[in-house]
Amino acid sequence: MWAGGVTLLLLLLWGGAKIRWEKEMAREQRKAAYGFSGPTAVAIREKVGQGLALAALGGFRGLAANALMLQAHGAWEEQQWVRVRSALELATMLQPRVAVFWDTASWHLAWNAAVAAERYSGQISETKRKMEARRWVEAGRDLLERGTKAVPEKALLFQRLGDLYWQRLGDYQEAARCYREALTKGDAPPYLERFVGYALEKAGDKRGALDYFKSLRGEMGNPPNPERRPEVVEREIARLEKEVVGGKKAKTK
Amino acid sequence: MMSCLRRISAVAGNTFLEAVRQKVFAVLLVFALVLVGGANYFTEFSFQEQFKFLKDLGYAAISLTGLLVGLLGAAQLIPGEIERRTILTALCRPLRRWEFVVGKYLGLATYLTLMVAIMALAVWGVLGWKEAQFLRAEGLEPAAAAAIRAEAMDPRLLQAVLLVGVKLAVVAALAVFFSTIATSTTFVMAMTLLVYLIGHLQSVAREQWLETGEAARWTVKIFLAAVALLVPDFNLYNLIDEIVAGNVVLWRTTLEVVGYSAVYVGVLLAAAACMFEGRDI
Repeated sequence: MWAGGVTLLLLLLWGGAKIRWEKEMAREQRKAAYGFSGPTAVAIREKVGQGLALAALGGFRGLAANALMLQAHGAWEEQQWVRVRSALELATMLQPRVAVFWDTASWHLAWNAAVAAERYSGQISETKRKMEARRWVEAGRDLLERGTKAVPEKALLFQRLGDLYWQRLGDYQEAARCYREALTKGDAPPYLERFVGYALEKAGDKRGALDYFKSLRGEMGNPPNPERRPEVVEREIARLEKEVVGGKKAKTK
Repeated sequence: MMSCLRRISAVAGNTFLEAVRQKVFAVLLVFALVLVGGANYFTEFSFQEQFKFLKDLGYAAISLTGLLVGLLGAAQLIPGEIERRTILTALCRPLRRWEFVVGKYLGLATYLTLMVAIMALAVWGVLGWKEAQFLRAEGLEPAAAAAIRAEAMDPRLLQAVLLVGVKLAVVAALAVFFSTIATSTTFVMAMTLLVYLIGHLQSVAREQWLETGEAARWTVKIFLAAVALLVPDFNLYNLIDEIVAGNVVLWRTTLEVVGYSAVYVGVLLAAAACMFEGRDI
């Protein structure tokens, strides 16, 4: 009897001491992972089924998310886009810090599902097909926007968002903005810095592109790092100068 | 002091040998190794995803096998000795009861450490195997090769293995604690498993109790407080997910979780020794 009492007292005393420690560690971990320290478990509990929630909270969240990615892959092979989307949404919700999940998910929606809706849906009306495709592209964009908030420290998702604006929505100014944002992250590939200039030019802002390439070349210093391909930047400057000056001359004539 | 350590190490050595001789543990180990090796055949995805799948499956295999070994091993530690009456022969020697409990735990923990190390080496080997496959397929383009190598041989994996190991150490300590109260192995396994599952919800109970400020009945509040006070927070070990995702996890954070686990194991062993002292055998 005495042993039970002493044990309970010991465990309660330790419980009182540990709770503050746990709170502090959980707060720090959340802050490092999500950039904020508020409660996070609620969103998962609300949306995920009971069995999956157990796996999610039982320390096997990675496995559950992988299973969902496999499920999405299977649904993709069968061209079942709604199933693809729901599996991908769940996978990204279970592991929001895995950048590659957001990347794959947005690629499936904005490219695969959108192209399938536009070309192979069997819908006769072209307008309806295009509207449906646009909806998928926007779903992919929304996913990537959420992804950039979940993994804000990596360049990958900003780069992909830029690609999406460029290739799927034709919004080159926005693409340039995303590439610029990606370049602030430190892990962007070296070629991406030239993409800002290309996007500005595509957006019709040749003067802006020229100024950008010039400032980029200036940043490279002397001698420049060959990985940053200074010769390509110089070629672009020469070409754009010719076009901008040529354009001005044509206007004055 | 030295004689005390000698007695503890004798019990620990004996427990370790008993565990090594258990065929079921060897089967579990083989099962986990096959699972880890089989993970190499995910070939439908990008290399980042494939590495992530491999790591997730590897850590899940280590966790699951370790959990089963910890549960089965600890469940038999004391109830098994009582059932076979071998505990009487052990305790009639100059051996204190707390030394017996600590020795038993250390023997099991050593076996768990060995298993985790073997499985971690297997995961590392499979990652290396996958890396070689990718390097052969992608050629030796320096940027691609560097990205593949960084994914495969990420030094942070050591942090993940350490976290898996200490989580299992806490689970084993829980099982040892329950084995000092219980008379049957089923009870020990069921209780440990329940606490393990509840431990992943402990942070929710803690937040609900301390932070939300919602009006709740006093019975609910007592229940939430009991969960928050008596159950370990197993969500703290979710840092493993961050590591697998390739995100930065500071060593300081990892070591803090290791420290928390060490103190928790100490408290649980003290509680187990206390319960065992008062128990009629």
